[in-house]
Amino acid sequence: MDMRARDIALIPLLSASITVGKLALSFIPNVEIVTMLFIIYTVTFGLKRSLLAAVLFSTIEILIYGFSTWVLGYYLIWPLLIIVTGLLKDRLKSEFGYAAIAGIFGFLFGAFFAVFESFFYGWAYGFTYWLRGILFDVVHGVSNYIVVLLLFKPLSRMLKAQAERFFGVVS
Amino acid sequence: MNNVNKKVVAIVGILLVAAVVYWGYSAFIAPKGEAGKKHVTIQVVIEKQNIDETFEYTTEHEFLYDLLKEKEKELGASFKTFDFGAMVTGMMNYTANEAENEYFHITVNGQDATTGPQEIPLKDGDVYKFELKTW
Repeated sequence: MDMRARDIALIPLLSASITVGKLALSFIPNVEIVTMLFIIYTVTFGLKRSLLAAVLFSTIEILIYGFSTWVLGYYLIWPLLIIVTGLLKDRLKSEFGYAAIAGIFGFLFGAFFAVFESFFYGWAYGFTYWLRGILFDVVHGVSNYIVVLLLFKPLSRMLKAQAERFFGVVS
Repeated sequence: MNNVNKKVVAIVGILLVAAVVYWGYSAFIAPKGEAGKKHVTIQVVIEKQNIDETFEYTTEHEFLYDLLKEKEKELGASFKTFDFGAMVTGMMNYTANEAENEYFHITVNGQDATTGPQEIPLKDGDVYKFELKTW
């Protein structure tokens, strides 16, 4: 990737906004805007910039919370969301499609970490972890769906306009 | 149907799905307590303090957390509440030192507990052990 000065400025800004967005809603269990922001950033700024923002965001999580297995999982799960969004974005015609991606992502979030944690603590632990967290996954999936359904269109329109204003046409 | 109506229908739909899943979880998956009197044992092991105490209780509580709360003073127990539930942070007036990666490991009849005390049902004759460990 050809890293221009504007990208070097943009990527940390994207990452910082995601960290702030996460912290701002951290008092409500499993309700977050990180998923929505990654989806909007992928659609607006493209795959590569969003992937770099995800790596930076995950690294900042380590600086904030310390190193643990769940933070390690972030290096996989957020890029996965970005890649899925990037692959599907040309086929998705409305915010309903992006809301579906966000909803499914939220529902499967616990399952992903259950499999991931199983590599460290065993399959029995992973299965119990997933089973006990189902209700949290439901809250995560439903809130993701609603947040993206309501905010995707206005935010992405606003972001695209600002991006074009400050950075020229974003490629 | 205009876009706003579509969104309202979609949101109501997903909330209904969530309600069904919640009902299914509560009915079939969530741990259930047993009503009636139970005789249980609580063991506390803190090796670095040379503590190995055993307490026997007869209780009508259905979950371990409720018993711990009732006997909080006697057990010297302390808790930290997270959005996913309560965690035992201290026993016998000793608080696990997070800086040294200490925590209270819970076993039920010698098997590692897979949930916190709020989701561990009390069963007659069970032994609940709290042992200070490091991770």
